Amino acid sequence: MTDFDTLLKASFAEAHDEPADDGFSVQVGRAVARRETELKLRGAAYTVGMTAAAAAIAYGAYAVASAYGQDLLASAGLEIARAHGALSSAPSVSQPFQTALQSLGAGMAQILLVTAALAGGAVAYRAAQQD
Amino acid sequence: MASRGLLNLAGATEAALIIAAQTRDQRAFNELVKRRQGWARALLRKMCRSHAEADDLAQEAFIKAWDRLKDLETPAAFPGWFRRIAVTTFLMAKRRQKAVFEEIDDASPIAAEDSTPEAAAGAKIDLEKALARLSDAERLCVTLNHGEGLSHSEIVEMTGLPLGTVKSHVLRGTEKLRRLLEPSQ
Repeated sequence: MTDFDTLLKASFAEAHDEPADDGFSVQVGRAVARRETELKLRGAAYTVGMTAAAAAIAYGAYAVASAYGQDLLASAGLEIARAHGALSSAPSVSQPFQTALQSLGAGMAQILLVTAALAGGAVAYRAAQQD
Repeated sequence: MASRGLLNLAGATEAALIIAAQTRDQRAFNELVKRRQGWARALLRKMCRSHAEADDLAQEAFIKAWDRLKDLETPAAFPGWFRRIAVTTFLMAKRRQKAVFEEIDDASPIAAEDSTPEAAAGAKIDLEKALARLSDAERLCVTLNHGEGLSHSEIVEMTGLPLGTVKSHVLRGTEKLRRLLEPSQ
């Protein structure tokens, strides 16, 4: 660092803060207060807007329900009854499944018997060859 | 409000004021502005040519600080944090004015400064007047480097300027100040 750099740093260090200016502080205070008021107003406007929108939607839903509510409920009830009926009269899915399992069980016994016989024959043949 | 617990705002520590202001206490923030305005305005006056512009930017910086105060992690970091806001505010104002910071005007006549009436008369002009002779970018970089003690890389990080540009601005700005401030031989 050169002598001049040192001198320059010293000059900057010696440069004092600006004297207090009450007008400046007041202006900043007012600007901040105005900003806060704007934020509060914006928040209130948002709340009012959301409330109005919710009320409009609720009113619309109420109007629709008043006009078509009974018809809709009747139709829905009818559809539910039809669906219930269709499900009740449908053939059971478990019956064929059980039959298939029983067939498989009976077949499995025969397969096991044949396998055991083949295995026994093979062991007896092997023993005869070793003798 | 948090400052209701402070019997005397004027007697409160800066840290207490900052913590209170972070809870949106306007009275605490106003007291903080009263205490810090001299420093903030002096910082911006070194960066700007005009005192009126510097005060406008200082006001803008304080309002930004109010908006972002919740982001300040510790009260002790306030000076550096506010300085960054002040520099950003200054740079944004210059961008609005279409000032070009990136280009180094190598043709700018440093030697021509010697021909000013003050230099010719051998008068030692004060730092503020000398700074006013520098370009916006040189003044900013010199102020941050020599005045605020920031390293070149810290200035790069704060301003977003390339390192080479910052070094050039500091070097050229310092050289111009040397010619303006050193008494004639």
